[in-house]
Order: sequence, then C-alpha cells, then structure tokens
Amino acid sequence: MSGNTDINLAEVEAMVREIGSAPRYVIPILQAIQERYHYLPEAALRHVCRISEITPAAISGVATFYSQFRLKPAGRYKIKLCVGTACHVMGAETLHDTFRQELEIPDGQDTDARKLFTIEKVACLGCCMLAPAAQIENLTYGSIQSAKVPGVLGDFLASRQEPGVVPGEKNLPRLKDYSGEVRMCQCSSCLASGAGKVFAEIRRQIARHHLPARLKAVGCTGIAYQTPLVEIALNNGRTFHYGRLRTEQVAEVLLQHFRPASLIRRGGAAISGYLERALADSLQAPVTRYLLDPQNGAEAGYLAPQQQIVTRFSGKLDPLNLEEYRRVGGFEALQQCLEQLSQNDILEAIEESGLRGRGGGGFPTGKKWRVVAGMAEPVKYVVCNGDEGDPGAFMDRMILESFPFRVIEGMLIAAVAVGAREGIFYIRAEYPLAVRRIEEALRICRDNGLLGDNILNSGRGCQLSIAAGAGAFVCGEETALLASIQGERGTPHIRPPYPAQEGLWGKPTLVNNVETLAAVPAIIRDGPAVFAGLGTPTSKGTKTFALAGKVVRSGLIEVPMGLTLRQIVEDIGGGVRGGHRLKAIQIGGPSGGCVPAALADTAVDYEALRQAGAIMGSGGMVVLDESDCMVDMARYFMAFTQAESCGKCTFCRIGTKRMLEILERLCSGQGQEGDIEKLEELSKSVTAGSLCGLGKTAPNPVLTTIRYFREEYQAHVEGRCPTGKCRNMITYRINERCIGCTKCAQECPVAAIPVSPYAQHQIDPDLCTKCDRCRQVCPVDAIEVA
Amino acid sequence: MIRCTINDRPLEVPAGTTLLQAARAQGISIPTLCHREGYPAFASCMLCVVRDQKSGNLLPACSALVQDGMAIETDSEAVHEARKAALELLLSDHSGECLAPCQRTCPAHMDIPMMHHHIEAGRTREALQTVKQTIALPAVLGYICSAPCESGCRLKQVGGSLSICALKRYVAEEDLNSEAPFLPAVQTATGKKVAIIGSGPTGLAAAYYLQQEGHACTLFDKNPEPGGALRYEIPEAELPRSVLDAEIGIIARLGAEFRMNTALGQQISFEELRGQFDAIVLAAGRVKADDLGMSDLESARAGIHINSETFETSIRGVFAGGGAVRSGKMAVRSVADGKAIAASVHQYLGQGTVTRGQDQFYLRMRNMDRAELDGFIEEQKHKFNISGGEELFTRVVERDNVSPEKVGHEAGRCLHCGCLKTDTCKLRRYAEEYKANAQTYKGNKRYEVDTFTDHPLVILEAGKCIQCGLCIRITEKHEETFGLTFIGRGFDIAVGVALNENLGRGMEKTARECVAACPTGAIAMRPGVK
Repeated sequence: MSGNTDINLAEVEAMVREIGSAPRYVIPILQAIQERYHYLPEAALRHVCRISEITPAAISGVATFYSQFRLKPAGRYKIKLCVGTACHVMGAETLHDTFRQELEIPDGQDTDARKLFTIEKVACLGCCMLAPAAQIENLTYGSIQSAKVPGVLGDFLASRQEPGVVPGEKNLPRLKDYSGEVRMCQCSSCLASGAGKVFAEIRRQIARHHLPARLKAVGCTGIAYQTPLVEIALNNGRTFHYGRLRTEQVAEVLLQHFRPASLIRRGGAAISGYLERALADSLQAPVTRYLLDPQNGAEAGYLAPQQQIVTRFSGKLDPLNLEEYRRVGGFEALQQCLEQLSQNDILEAIEESGLRGRGGGGFPTGKKWRVVAGMAEPVKYVVCNGDEGDPGAFMDRMILESFPFRVIEGMLIAAVAVGAREGIFYIRAEYPLAVRRIEEALRICRDNGLLGDNILNSGRGCQLSIAAGAGAFVCGEETALLASIQGERGTPHIRPPYPAQEGLWGKPTLVNNVETLAAVPAIIRDGPAVFAGLGTPTSKGTKTFALAGKVVRSGLIEVPMGLTLRQIVEDIGGGVRGGHRLKAIQIGGPSGGCVPAALADTAVDYEALRQAGAIMGSGGMVVLDESDCMVDMARYFMAFTQAESCGKCTFCRIGTKRMLEILERLCSGQGQEGDIEKLEELSKSVTAGSLCGLGKTAPNPVLTTIRYFREEYQAHVEGRCPTGKCRNMITYRINERCIGCTKCAQECPVAAIPVSPYAQHQIDPDLCTKCDRCRQVCPVDAIEVA
Repeated sequence: MIRCTINDRPLEVPAGTTLLQAARAQGISIPTLCHREGYPAFASCMLCVVRDQKSGNLLPACSALVQDGMAIETDSEAVHEARKAALELLLSDHSGECLAPCQRTCPAHMDIPMMHHHIEAGRTREALQTVKQTIALPAVLGYICSAPCESGCRLKQVGGSLSICALKRYVAEEDLNSEAPFLPAVQTATGKKVAIIGSGPTGLAAAYYLQQEGHACTLFDKNPEPGGALRYEIPEAELPRSVLDAEIGIIARLGAEFRMNTALGQQISFEELRGQFDAIVLAAGRVKADDLGMSDLESARAGIHINSETFETSIRGVFAGGGAVRSGKMAVRSVADGKAIAASVHQYLGQGTVTRGQDQFYLRMRNMDRAELDGFIEEQKHKFNISGGEELFTRVVERDNVSPEKVGHEAGRCLHCGCLKTDTCKLRRYAEEYKANAQTYKGNKRYEVDTFTDHPLVILEAGKCIQCGLCIRITEKHEETFGLTFIGRGFDIAVGVALNENLGRGMEKTARECVAACPTGAIAMRPGVK
C-alpha cells in the first residue's frame, strides 16, 4: 500500500527523537507523520514501532480511532465541508452531494480521480452566519448554493495560479504618536468570514499611506453577524465600528479617521491615484453605511442583555499582549491566591460562587476541586478540557483564541487550589489557531515568571503543556480525554474511580472545561459574591452560547444565567429571520434537545433546561423556524453521535446505529408503523445501558422531538414530511411560468431536464437528485418543490 | 470493609471489589461475555448489568465497584429486560448462523458438516461416530429417509445439493460390513430399568441411547420381530431386512432386551410394568387410555396429556413419543424423538425431574438471492480452502450409486455453512436463556467484514465478533509481536491484526487461548484441528 511513496525513515526517526519514544507519544508522533506526508504511510508506522516503545497494536488501534488520521494518500487540496448544525439547516447535505458529483468522486471514496481534492465533512468551521460553508485549504467560501459549486472550485484553482498575496508586505510605520487604534478580531470564526483578507488590507493601507494608526488583533467581539468587524478607537475617546467590511472599502474607512502622516511631507506627487479617488469618493458616498452604533443601533439590542465575565474586554485586548492583560487586572487573582489566600480560601471562594461545569454536565466546580485537593497523593494534575466538539458550538475555541491568558490564569489558580504542579491543555486538532495562541501565551508566561518553578516569586511551581486531540468527539468525556492524553484510543472508563481520585497516570486529576476555568480569575478578583449575584438559585454567573440558525443576529454571546430563551432569540438575536415563526430552539447539541416555541420562556438554568428535555450543554444554540423538519433534526444529531460513538458499549455502538436507521427510514419515506415506539424503546435502552455521557445522552434529541412534535413523526410514518425538508419525500416540478430559457437544463448535473427551447421544460423524477440547482438558476421561479 | 446488599442479602466486601466478584462469591450468577478472569475488565457487552436500587441506574457488574450502602438487584425484570435488549442488539449485528441449514432442517439435528469433514479426510469411522451421536439407525434411514436436510442445503439453490443421505448410508453400511462395527461406550450399569413399548424407530432409538447411559431397557412389541413399521409397513425392496436386522443387532449388543409377541393391555398390563420398571416409554403408535387400564382415571378425556417438549406424560415416570404423539410418518422424526425421549428419561432417572424444555436458539441468516449466495459461497470457499469451480455445484454420488472413490469429492463440496462453535457459543447460550429474538432490532449489516483464514490453527470471522476485546487483551498480555487490535471505531469497529499483518503473525502463541476466551464463533479452531 505504501510501497510507492518515498518515505524518509531518517525523517521519521528525527520526529520520534524530538517528540519522545514512550507509548504516550503515539498521537503527536502520528500527527507529525501526517503533517509531513498528508497520511500515515505503513512503512513509517512500522519504523516507529521498531525505534520506539510503541507497539504495532497500539499504533494501529490509535491511527484508526481518531478521525484526523488517514491511512490512504489524500488529494492535493482538502475541502472541509462544514456540517455543523447551522450549515445542516442551510442545506449542507445537498452541498456535499453536489461537490462529490462535480468532482466525480465515487461512492465509498473521498478523493477525486485526479487526486486533486479530498473532501471531508467537519463538525463546525465556526462561521455559522455564512452557512452553508466550506473551506478549501486556507480559503473559506460561504453561503454556497449548489449551483455555485463549479464556480467555487474554479475560483480556488485560479487562486492557486496567482502569486500569493503576502499580507503587510511593507512594514507598518513606527510613529511616536498614534492618533488611535484599529482593532479587529483574528479568531477562527472571523477568519472564516473573511477577516484575514480585510486585516491584511488594513495593514497594507496603513503602511501605504503612512497612517498614524496602531493596528491591533483583538479578542473576538462575538458579533458574528457583522464580521468582518473593525473598531476604530481614537485617542480622543471616540470609537467607531464598521461591520461586514469589504476589502475595497478599507482605504475609505481608514482615511475617514486618520490623516496620512506623509501627506504633507511627501507632497501631492506621493499620493497615489487610488488615494485621490478614495478621498474623493468619501465625500460623495459616506462610508457610514458600514458604520454601526453599539449604543443605540441594532447592536445595542444585541449587546445590552449580555454580561461579560469570561469574554470581558472582548474586542479591546490583543490576545497575546501580556502587558495589556495585566493592565486590566490580569493575573491579580493568581497573585492573590499565591500571596494572600490559603488553599481553603480559594476552594471556599469557588464553592461560594456557585460555579458549575460549563462543559455541559454542570457538576459543582468547587466540589470537584475539593475532592482533588483532599487526595493525599503528592502528584496531581490539572487538565483543561478544550475538546469542544458539539457541531455548532465554538465558544471554547473563541475563549482560547481571544483570552488565552485568562484561561491560563484560571488553570494556575486551579493548580494552586488543588495542589497540582503540572497541567495539560487538551485542545482538539480542529483548533490549530487555539493551539498556537495557547502555545505562544505559555511561552510568554514562562518568559515573564508566570510559569515554571517559581511563579511570581512565590516559591511555588507549575508547568503547563499542550496535548492536541486528534478528532474524536468522545474525548470531550473526561475519562476518554485522559486515555487520549496517555496515548490510547479514546475509550471512556467507568466511574468511580473518578479522575479526581484516579485520573491521569492513576493520579488525582482535576478536569475542567475552558469556560469554567476562564470564569475563575474574575471570581477570585471580584469576590465570589459578584458571580453568585448573577443567575438563578441553582445556576450562577454567566454562560456563553453560539447563537445561530434562523435568527437575524447570530454570534457568540455571554448572558447571565436566568435569561429566558425568548429573550435571547428576540432581544439579542433580533427575532426569527425573514419574519418566519419560531418553531423550536435546539440547545445542547447532540446531547441536548429541541425546546419548542411554547416553552421559549424557559430560563437558562441547568435544572429548568433539563426539565424541558434539553440540557445546558456546552453552548450550542440553534434557532429553528417552521420550515425546519424536527425528524430531520433528530436524524442529523443521531448521525453525528452515531459516527462519534467509540464503539465499546453494545447499547451505544449498535443501539444508536439502529436508531439512526429508523430515523433515516422515516426521513426517506420508508417509515413503518411502530417506528416511533421502537425509537422510544431504543432510547430507553441506550440511555440506561451506556457507560458514558455520549451514549447516555445520545437519545435526547430524539426524545424531545418525539415529546413535542410527535405528530410530525406520525406524518413521516405515513410518508409525509410536513415541512418538505426531507429530500426523498419531495419532488421537483416545472410549472407553466417556465419561459423555456433552458438555464435549468444546462445546469442540471444529471441531465434530468431535456433541453427544449421556448417550451415548458420537464423534470424526469427518476433521474432528479434534488440538488436544487435548477431552482437556484431559474429566472422566473418556475421550479416548484412539493 | 464496605457494606452493601445484593438481592436484599447484606454483605461486607473489601474496598475495590467489583459487583461481579461480590455476587459470584455469594453464588449469584451473572452472565458475562466480555469478562475473563485474569484480565482487566472492559465493560463492553453490558450483559452483566445489575441495577442500583437507589439511583435506578444500571451498572456493569464486571467493572462497577461496590460502594458503601449500595443496594443491588441482579435478577429483577428491569435487569432481565436490559440483558435481553443487549443480546438482541448483539444478535442484530451478528452475521452467520448457529447451525448449517442442513443440520437445522434435520429433525435429529445431525452434525452433517462434521460428517462431511471426516469423510473428506477419509475418516469413515469418525464420520459414522458423528452420525450416531444423533441417529441410532443411520443405515436404515440411508434407505428410507426423505432427507429434508438436502432441501436445506445452500448448494441446492445453485445446482445440486450435497448427497447427504447417500453419504450417511455409505458410512453406516461400511461400518456394518466391517469386521467390528462401531459400538458406543456404555456407562456403568445404573440398576435402573426402562420398559419401552414398541420396537419401531422411536423405541429402538430410545433404547440405543438409554443403554449407553447404563440403563437396562426392555422393548415390548406385539409383533414377532422388532422394527415396528420399519419391518411391517415398508416393503423389503425399499429397505433390505438385513440392514434393519444389523442395526437392531447393534442395539441388542448394547444389552437391550426384546420381548416380542407381548402387547400392552394383553400379554402385559400397565400396572405390572409400573411395578417392575423405573420408567416406561410408550412408543407404539397412538396410545389409548384403555391400554393403560385407566378407564376410571382419564378415559373420559381423549387420551393422556403429553408434554411435546419433554415427552413426559401426565403420569409420573411415563413418557410417550414417536407415533404416540405425532401422526406424521417421517422415520427420521421418529428416530429423533427416540433420542430426545432417552435424554428426558435419563434426567428423570438421575434427578427425579425433567428440566429440559428450553427452546433451542438458532440464529438464522435471511434467505439469500443469487448474488448474495454467490458472495456467500466465495466467502466459504475462502474460509475453508474449498477448491473447485463449477463442479462444486454437481452431485457425484446418489444413494444407489456410491463409490468409495467419489465420496471424498462429494463431501468436499460441503460449504460448512454453520458455526464452528455452535455448542460453546456463549452468545447463543444466553440468547436461549433470555429468550432473545434476533429480529427485534433487525438492521443493516456492517459494510465489510473480514474473515481471516491465514492462521494454521484458527479462523477469525469478524462478522461474528461482538467487540468484547478479549483476544486483544490476551495478545497484549502475552506480548505478541503484532497482536490483535481494534480497527476503527463506532459501529464499524472491528478486530484486526496490527499493521495489516496476517493472523498467523497476530497470534503466534495465543491462538488457543483466544479460541477458548472468544465468547462467540468469531475465533474458532479450524474444523478438525484438535
């Protein structure tokens, strides 16, 4: 299999030498090999076994468990098609089929015959407002209708022909005096929405016109529906926000606020024609059409109900500027913990704050810390769970990318509180930028005495390092996560013993989610009462959500507990898009459920959400309108969980598969009497008989949709999809409005529409694949779907 | 020490004790598939679930530790239902069938594939022994059996079914014609006496197996010579009397006594029999209450009640079968009944009661269309190194045209459709115990499953694997160079050899332990390998 590829064994040896040869290093070694060869050549794996303590069984088991790893060569370019919840709702499945069709990728394979493109589905690219979206190498394409697919592929290939645009080819001016800052987020979500190009353009324009502007990458504002979003903060205290800014408008916006320093000095000859035009244009067509007003405009509605603790100073701070972070009180809490507070004081503060696990489970954080603190074992670990994997949830990624120091501080406080001297960030492989930012932040901390053997001269030490996940949703479960750090397949273990008792390498281990740890510094610095003052009797503080779906304003939000779902959808989200009616709110992703519109006054509260059949979850929140099919939603989440099951326990491995088969049957018009009852029965068994959270909660999306939308299931049993969303239950037809323009016939990829100029066209239902391309190109809305 | 209750029984165990250890120490049995002493628990099959009464949660007993104050139930309806559901899910993903269709169709469930295996290897005597484990009169049946097995044969769909009956007759006659025909081993005499009324196929078969258990049988028959319908209803042209006599002769040599010209209710009364014998078997056609002298007891009713599973009658110690319970005339059916009655009588004589009666569980494959069948045939050829192309589909021997040179070829056509571990498969045993239905969660099969035939001792059929991981833990513990591992995850997870090595290198020293540990037929010894 690998015989044809040239594998440089010396190179493999160097990787093992650098990373380590103990069994625990199998995942980083495989990642290094894959980075180099784009897949795992068998010859390389065999060599690793020869020169390290890693056994063949371990390497084969691990390489086939994590979805990041490929055992077959891949195409030159990778198309990552987002199938996150928002993209699903916007037609990602159809899009996937269209890409495959266009590239003529045969069933069961993922790479085209020319070995140019490999297509893979990814859980979430984090640009829900651009749904459906796909990333080809470093380019993100959004709102891709299937008819646009050939264009997208063409555009990508064309971009490969051009010499690459080197951002900021000129050095930015070094001035004594800046008249203000240009702030822009460079997190993955914003980059996916085109913020990278705009940022590069700003850099270029500042350099080009010698503007007295300090360009600064900042933590994300979360106002996703306005990205690329630029804030201009002038020294006179005035700030201006520009939303959905396009590269062509950059110069115009900048010149609105900054006078070119060189303008006078270099004289008119130095001014480019472009600048003249820009200046001239600015007089005629004011750029205020991009200008936002966070105080009074729509953004006020979006921002006002929010309360920032873990995302405090979003849009203001440079994520990797330690000095800035310290200027706003960063690391004060840690200092307090090291100098003033006893271990017990810290534990009490966390207990009093009422903080509960933000990864979804909601276990009281203080209680967990106290168990670890109480263990007599001298060696203990702290692990930051950054394996956020729910499709449609990327709050943790945003926190890691935008506020790395805050998470590090929370982590160090936790280590001090429980008596650990070593901590590990476990961050999923799909978050390369988060990994880079944390890596860099750790380096900065080490250089500044915040990490190592003598933190802040306290005499106390703690080392922090990073373990990158390799693509397994189940590793968000803490016992599976620890197995993964140990270089094993990510298979959960039974609890007790809990990780707090016997965790990593058998030692007491505190595992906390990113958002949980990010809340810690504020609790210590401001006192637990402030945090506990927010929320409901059992749910304190704030919670972040990725608000997406059929809502006017989508984005990353942080709200006080106790806010109702309706307030979030209507006040923050601006209501349902297109004037449609709210049908349900999916909360908690694949472990959660759909709360129907009738229960929209349910509060963001662990217990209230559970009562409604959903869970707090890690923060995915997708708004659904009346055009969304609830059986299809259940099928979507079950497909996700089923694919992510580790396969150990019978009920989860086979039970979720059988449930998915029934749901697929229902969504394709093949439903049978008794299917709903069988789903209920299987849900009960899978919940009761699964060992870990993944299996135990997998039936939730099915159970809540049956509970609130049983009649919709019944319709599917009878072969009808009331919303017309289920592809196999609908037909495409051309009505008499057809003008015979032949566009549809030309567009149809399967020749289901014979070309008949000037006559009403017809669709052959047997050939039609329901790719929707005809409807998208029809100039007169003559294509009907029923 | 930690206190808890199991099934309301209070007990104390040291910390770190699993629920399974605690229960087993109390003599409480909990079914397991993925557990094996000496290996770390894996908590995969979930068959060992028990219920924590306080939380209502199900816990896998193999790995859940006893916690202070726990109240555990191991045998409630909830537990039973969960175990049954686990089994039904496992069965829904189990490809293969417990018995080859020929064996399943045979009323006596004769191990036909094993007979073929021996014949192919030239071991006629072993073939005959295999046959006689279930069929007391193989030569007789070789002449008159309607051979339902042959219509079950998978090859029938694509050409000629195997000539099973002819092969059976061949090995039986070879044996009878040999210098020392096969006599099964006989247990030490038990001192128990059994009266068998009727010396037809049912009575003869019952005597054949009861004698082997050490019980002294006396066959009563109203006719002057034994054989019943075989002698008095079937023409000699169809069944030579020499063959019948020879097989009856074997039964006589085992010690059975024949009392001819002795009809029940005439030459001997039912009451006399009850006085002289420990058990009575009625195997002489339809029984009338009159014959038993029970007119005052039950003659008002149509007859006596007979349990169709255990062949017990409503009278203690009296059994009835063959023509006594059925109207059909299939001789092999009567012979099968004879063996089943013998088993019930043996139990009754040993322990006073008959506990059999469990329905046997057989997982069956659905009917295959031609394409699926072709795929199946290729798979079996690969699995058992069966050579041959089109000639595989043609019969080369018939009952009246058997030549010793051809029997090996004919037997070699057998596809060995059944499971290699029919009798030791724990999945099947528990499916029987929990009355699991393989159809409950019927679904799609896994896309591709590998069968590894590249090991000298064993065959690994991933389609029968339940992902218990025992073989993986065994190869790891014994430090196999390559060893087995899980490949993939989720529903498509499968056991495979590390780095795509062959099975021989994956299990260089652990093959036998893996076979013993494997709870299903996924890892089995090659046929005939000891």
